[in-house]
Amino acid sequence: MIYLFQVLNGIGIGMLYFLLAVGLSVIFGLLQFVNFAHGAFYLLGAYLTYDLTSRGLSFWAAMPIATLIVAGAAALIEALLLHRIYKLPHSFHILVTVGLALMIQELTIIVWGPLGGSVAPPAGLTGVVMLGDFIYPQYRLFTIAFTAVLAALLWWLLEGTRLGAVVRGGSESSDNMALLGYNTLRINTAVFGFGAGLAGLAGALAAPIRGVEPFMGIEALSVAFVVVVIGGMGSYTGALVAGLLVGVTQSVMAAIWPEGARLMIYIGMALVIALMPRGLLGRA
Amino acid sequence: MNVVNKPVVQFGLALLTVAVLPLTLSSGILASEILIFAMVVAACNLLLGYTGLLSFGQGIFFGVGSYVAGIFLTRFDLPVPVVLAASLVLGAAIAALVGWLSIRRQGVYFVMLTLAFAQMFYFLAYTFSGLTGGDNGLLDIPRPTVGGAALDGPWSYYVYVAVCFVVVFGLLLVATQSTFGRTLIAIRENESRAAAIGFPTRLFKIEAFAISGAVTAFAGALHAMLIGVAPLSNIEYHISELILIMTIIGGSSSLFGSVLGAGFYLLLADTLSAIWPRWLLLLGLCLVLVALFLQRGIWGLVERLASAVTGGPGPAAPAATSGEEA
Repeated sequence: MIYLFQVLNGIGIGMLYFLLAVGLSVIFGLLQFVNFAHGAFYLLGAYLTYDLTSRGLSFWAAMPIATLIVAGAAALIEALLLHRIYKLPHSFHILVTVGLALMIQELTIIVWGPLGGSVAPPAGLTGVVMLGDFIYPQYRLFTIAFTAVLAALLWWLLEGTRLGAVVRGGSESSDNMALLGYNTLRINTAVFGFGAGLAGLAGALAAPIRGVEPFMGIEALSVAFVVVVIGGMGSYTGALVAGLLVGVTQSVMAAIWPEGARLMIYIGMALVIALMPRGLLGRA
Repeated sequence: MNVVNKPVVQFGLALLTVAVLPLTLSSGILASEILIFAMVVAACNLLLGYTGLLSFGQGIFFGVGSYVAGIFLTRFDLPVPVVLAASLVLGAAIAALVGWLSIRRQGVYFVMLTLAFAQMFYFLAYTFSGLTGGDNGLLDIPRPTVGGAALDGPWSYYVYVAVCFVVVFGLLLVATQSTFGRTLIAIRENESRAAAIGFPTRLFKIEAFAISGAVTAFAGALHAMLIGVAPLSNIEYHISELILIMTIIGGSSSLFGSVLGAGFYLLLADTLSAIWPRWLLLLGLCLVLVALFLQRGIWGLVERLASAVTGGPGPAAPAATSGEEA
């Protein structure tokens, strides 16, 4: 039974990893750009939620506001700075986004202090659910349901709408999209904001589960990397499968070998790479 | 070739650095640290500048080296030269393993893999705290002794580090000038062509990793003896990030650029961290500015200066030292 709970926990965490990885993926797909500041946007989303709820705002208002602020800030950064460096080699993309991540992390410490804090689950979801003889926190069930709906929405948005078609077209050939009359500069800005907003949303949702601390960003970044390495960048299904796999592995291992739970994520990744160099779904 | 990039000039500049540091710095610890990180950064540059591999996992090997020093010196009482040799061997072995796995994926995936491996080794060190001391690290690591006298003074140990630095830097220079080094550059420039000529490019990349890991671990062992501790922070993500930052700021077009990168970063850190604990904010800004305006790093400035003075050829277009060809 404990394992069932851990699997449930893992699905919840895994869906957050999925959100992070999809954001990273969408940005990479369109801009050919690895965003090393992705973890910092997650950090910012979590801290803004912490800040707004501790000012008495309800979580239901804080979560979307935090997400929008992160998305807006990211779009602004893209419009002012990042579009200047797309032509440069990858090492400079990494240098700039690592620099941004450092700045966001240090600003977080300056504004909110180095110690971190906790965020209470939203009113109405503070209780527990009885599953037979066992209890399970309502908020964690909510995140599973909420992220599942989000995942379906995202799939529809990316695969079923004109907007998604424009984004996918842009990732095939930005020049052709410009020839067709699309303002690719504006699309780039919007997509970067959107991808970063997903990271911010993941942070907002994670805050009541794991609290906030200034170094949660780098942890999220490396897990998102593991997910896209295993699942393939630019692959929606890959991010979903790999995100869930990583989340469940981490949770189940937390019951079997608590000290080594996070280590196992990386061991698992090393094994996948050793046995299946192209990742689970064999693309890229 | 720009005169400052000639191997003789590079080696001369390295010797000059060793002589100038004691004259300008009051802290022997800081001077030793600069030379230790100069080796680490030069080793990172062998991958980034020469082979075109952007490794976010150099901290792994640094941490391994400091743990090797900690474990072998405090638990087995082995002599320092044996321990340093062990750090070279283990560093090379682990780097070959990490390299072998990471180069299975190309480009940005390669970079992400090296970062994920950095996290993996951090959690390994954290989880197996019986071996590594976990959060506390390994304490009371002794300094080496020469002729029966322990090198307890900061400047006497500096001399020891300086000798190691000169030897390592010289060997790296020889390696980059050799056929091996030329082949690495060929792989960086066009991997499929190098492979078509008949070079086993994967093997060359793994060898570059092994050399880089050996040097980095060696420096990690020297660092553990410098501060007397092998802390968990020596294998953290943060160290990998720092090494890469120093490499790119210094400039990846020559080995001595790496010495400048290490010196620049450590002197900046030493000055600014005393004034403002949140100085990393400024470092972040500095990284953005380097990417926008100083793409060949500090060494690029030196090259421009040298060619202005000698009227020689100006610096070439920015080298594509990205993970693209990785």
